Order: sequence, then structure tokens, then C-alpha cells
Amino acid sequence: MKKRSLVLVTVDCLRADHVGFLGYSRRPVTPNLDSLAKNSAIFSNAIVAGAPTYFSFPAILASRYPLALGRDLLGIAPHEPTVATVLQEAGYKTAAFVAGNPYLSRRFGYDQGFDSFHDFLGSEAGNEPIAPDSVAAKKPSKLNRWIQEGSRRNGLAASAYDELYFWYCQWLSARENIPMDRLRRYPAANVIVDQAQSWLSSLGEQPFFLWLHLMDPHNPYYPLEEALAALRLSHITARRARFLNSFWDRWDVGTHRLKRYREEILSLYDAGVYWVDKQLSRLVEELQHFQRWDDTVFVVTADHGASFLEHGDRYHGPTSLQEHLIRVPMLLRAPELAGRHFSHGPFSMIHLAPTLLDAVGVSPPDSFQGRSAWEQIATGNLRAEPAITECIDGCFNPTRLDDRMRPRLMAVRDQDLKLVINFSEKQDYLYDLKNDPGENSPLPPGIRTRERARLFQLARKHLQRTSDSEKTDLRLRAVLFELQQSGRMMGGNASA
Amino acid sequence: MTQYRTVNLPEDLCGEAEKFLTGRFDSLEALVSFLLQEVVKDTARKFDQAEEQMIEQRLRDLGYL
Repeated sequence: MKKRSLVLVTVDCLRADHVGFLGYSRRPVTPNLDSLAKNSAIFSNAIVAGAPTYFSFPAILASRYPLALGRDLLGIAPHEPTVATVLQEAGYKTAAFVAGNPYLSRRFGYDQGFDSFHDFLGSEAGNEPIAPDSVAAKKPSKLNRWIQEGSRRNGLAASAYDELYFWYCQWLSARENIPMDRLRRYPAANVIVDQAQSWLSSLGEQPFFLWLHLMDPHNPYYPLEEALAALRLSHITARRARFLNSFWDRWDVGTHRLKRYREEILSLYDAGVYWVDKQLSRLVEELQHFQRWDDTVFVVTADHGASFLEHGDRYHGPTSLQEHLIRVPMLLRAPELAGRHFSHGPFSMIHLAPTLLDAVGVSPPDSFQGRSAWEQIATGNLRAEPAITECIDGCFNPTRLDDRMRPRLMAVRDQDLKLVINFSEKQDYLYDLKNDPGENSPLPPGIRTRERARLFQLARKHLQRTSDSEKTDLRLRAVLFELQQSGRMMGGNASA
Repeated sequence: MTQYRTVNLPEDLCGEAEKFLTGRFDSLEALVSFLLQEVVKDTARKFDQAEEQMIEQRLRDLGYL
């Protein structure tokens, strides 16, 4: 029997509520995926095991909770089994095309198991120099620094200075005419798909594993003009997009002022999603062209969502585990899965890797913390189980050890209830998602005590399971790897 | 007073490791001690334990432990 191949597409920042096949109807952003969804299994409540990217991917590729090996490791541990390493050992040709997200690079072990790994961070990133996002990003002049320092002595003067300086920078920016393609920070989906097609064409009959990570919906939001035109958004010019991104990035203004630009920011975001959809249709056509489509399991999902002023938040920092950040779209296409829609209980992404291996007929390794749900999915009887998601609260720069040595933020997401435990604040919040999907009002402490305790028991079990000593060898390898990578050995104290 | 222990290591491994010493560590003992300190530190476990204790306290508060 011919071995099945596997294509895993992860889209950075893609929210579950911004794809047509899960109900988004404001704009036709995903016509091709919507069509593909009819012949696939789709999941309304796929929940990531961590957020953002650096806390999400250990589960996606290695079925491991992000803090299960402690806080010394960022990424995949040396020799840690992943979907790629397992399939490579099983005789698959493997390739990854990752659109320039540094947290998914070789530095963090993501190249393990890939015959061909492209992270688009070096010379692959392209020859065109990227323009600064805003003039404000450039170094201020001596005079500006002097005025800035002076104004800081008075709060009102500081605000006035920030305001004036922002608009002065915008005035300067408006005089430059930089095209969208030079403002974009990451290779667009068409570049990644082109490379993937080229690799696919070299394969022949061999089974393969292809991983694409696309960044088009990630901030800063600079979609292709073709995508804006397709969504009738051509009035948003590169100049306007530059202004919008600069304003959206201001931390000196309140939510009420940011709200004015929210709709336009969402338009740019949607155009990024549209471009992903369009390019994925090219990839599917290519697989059909090479007659590999029928024996390929094709998955599209995301590592986390994004905030657009829900609770006043922007982007996707590790300060919250709200639904728009942890609920991601998931589409799993295999010939026998047509028309399956799992709309009820959560599906934890910790189960994705073993499920995918099972789908192609390869046994998952013992180190995986999730278990295969393939049979349940194939028979349409997916059992709903609470999903756990976690991050280190406020860890914005995970490359810094100090940033990683902080308490965690954890959520236990059940079908209608969600318990969020903030270990920094020593507080917990129970939400009734059915009646409060926006997580605006946690239930009072004395309400639904039994369910609250049940979710706490799951959180406790999770901590006990992930801190057990079974993986000491991986953790130690990770410590040594980090020592080498961070150069701490180079700077080691001679009298240590 | 600190007690010391003698550990036997393969000669060729010590030779390779000594290449790391130049300008960084005074001796092979200093290098090995530094590495072992890093390995046993495991600061994360302290967080895990504190977090587990907080959950247990909440379960006690709720009358489920």
C-alpha cells in the first residue's frame, strides 16, 4: 500500500473567527479554503497549547506542552522527536519553508528532521532592503532627543511632545513613496508556495512531509496590493497602510483613539488572510498536477490568533489567553473525512502531531504528550476533552532568561466553561463561554464550585504531569544547548 | 567546609574539554563545576512547585482537597 504524504500549513496570527468556513462573512477572505472545507474535517474549537508562537509550536510539531521541559528551553530540544524526525526516520522526504519567523528557526531547533529547511532569515529573505515601518523608528536627531528629555519632566508636556513628534514623523513619511512590497517584513505566501512547488517537483514518487509557515496576517500589516484589490480595499494605499501601522503601534494613546483605525487595520489583516487562501489554492493545484493530492493529508491551522482591541489589547503578547488568541481554525483534509464538522468540544493542539502521524500510518513516539484522535475523527465521534493552554506571563522576549523566569498563565478550556489561572496575580477567573463569549465578566467565586474544582483538578494534574522527571535527558540536553547558543560558556567566569 | 569528590573521566574527553578553557575557565574542574551548577539549577521547578501549591490551596478553599 502506498504511503500517505503530509502537508502541514500553519498561518501565524490566524483567528478562528476570520475564516469563512468557520462563519466569517464580512468579506470573502477564504473562498478556496471554504470550498476545500466541504471535503474536509473542520474544527470550530481547536485550542492551541500555548501562545504566542514560541509557546505554541512545541505542541504543534512535538506534541509537548511549552513548559514541560522547564523554562531553560525555547523551541525544540536537541534530539526531541517531532513529526518531522519521525517521518524522516520512516523514509519520508521532508522540507520546511518558514516565512521568516525567527522563533521557528534553526536557532531553536526547528530544522530537526527536515532534509531541506528554509527559514528565510538570511540571504533567502530577498535582496530588496526593507524600509523602516515609520520614520519614528529611525534614530531621533540630537535636537529631538534634547526636546524629548526636557518634555519628560512634565506629564502634559511629554504627551504633547509625543503627539507632535508622531505627526511630524507622519508628515515626513508621507513625503516618501515606499511601495507595500518594501514595507512588508516577511516573505509573502506566494514566495513560500513558489519554493514549496519547486521542491515538490523534485520529489518523484516518494512520500513526503511538507511544512509551510505563512506570516501574511502577522503585524505589521502590509498585504499585497492584489489582495486589497480583490477585496475592494484598493483605497488603502501603501502610504495609508504605513500610517495605520504606525498609529496602531502607538503605546502613548488610549483605546478610544485606536478604535478609529480598527476597521482599516482589520481590512489589512483580512487582505493578508485572503492572500494565504489564494496561494494555498495554488499549492493544492500543484499537488493535483503531480497526482499527489489523493494520497496526501492536508492540514491548515494556526499557532495563535490576534487581538484587535478586545479588552483593549493589540497583537498577541503573552499577557492573556482569551479566546481570540487561543482558538484557531483547523481544517484537516483526507479523502475519508469529507463533511465532518466538529463544532462542540475543544480539540487541543497537543493531539495534532500524533493524529497526523496516525493519519499517514506511522506510529507516534512515546515522548508525545498528546494522543492520536485520528480514529475518532475518521468515524465522526470525536470525544470532547478539556484543553490546556499556557504561557509565561509577560514573557515578551523569550530569548532573555530573566523574561522566562516568571510565573505562568494557564487556562483550562472546556466546552462552555473556561478557567484562567494567573499565577502572577494569584487569581483565577471562571468564564461561562456560552453566555459570555467575550470573557467580559468572570463568574462570582461562589458560583459553580463543583465545575471550578474539576477544572482546577485538571490544572493540577497538568502541572504534575509536565513537571515529572521522565524527560530529564531532554531537559539536560536543552540546558547544554542553550549554554552553547547563548554564548554563556564564552563569557563564563574564569573562577567559576 | 566544602567537601570534594574525585570523579573519573575519560582522558580523551578531558583533552577535548580543555580546548574550551583558554581564557574562559581556570581549570577543567572550574568548567565541569560551572556546567554541573547550570544543570542542577532548574529554577523552573521552583515555579512549578509554587504554582502547584497555589492550585492545591484553591482546591482546599473550595472544599475539594
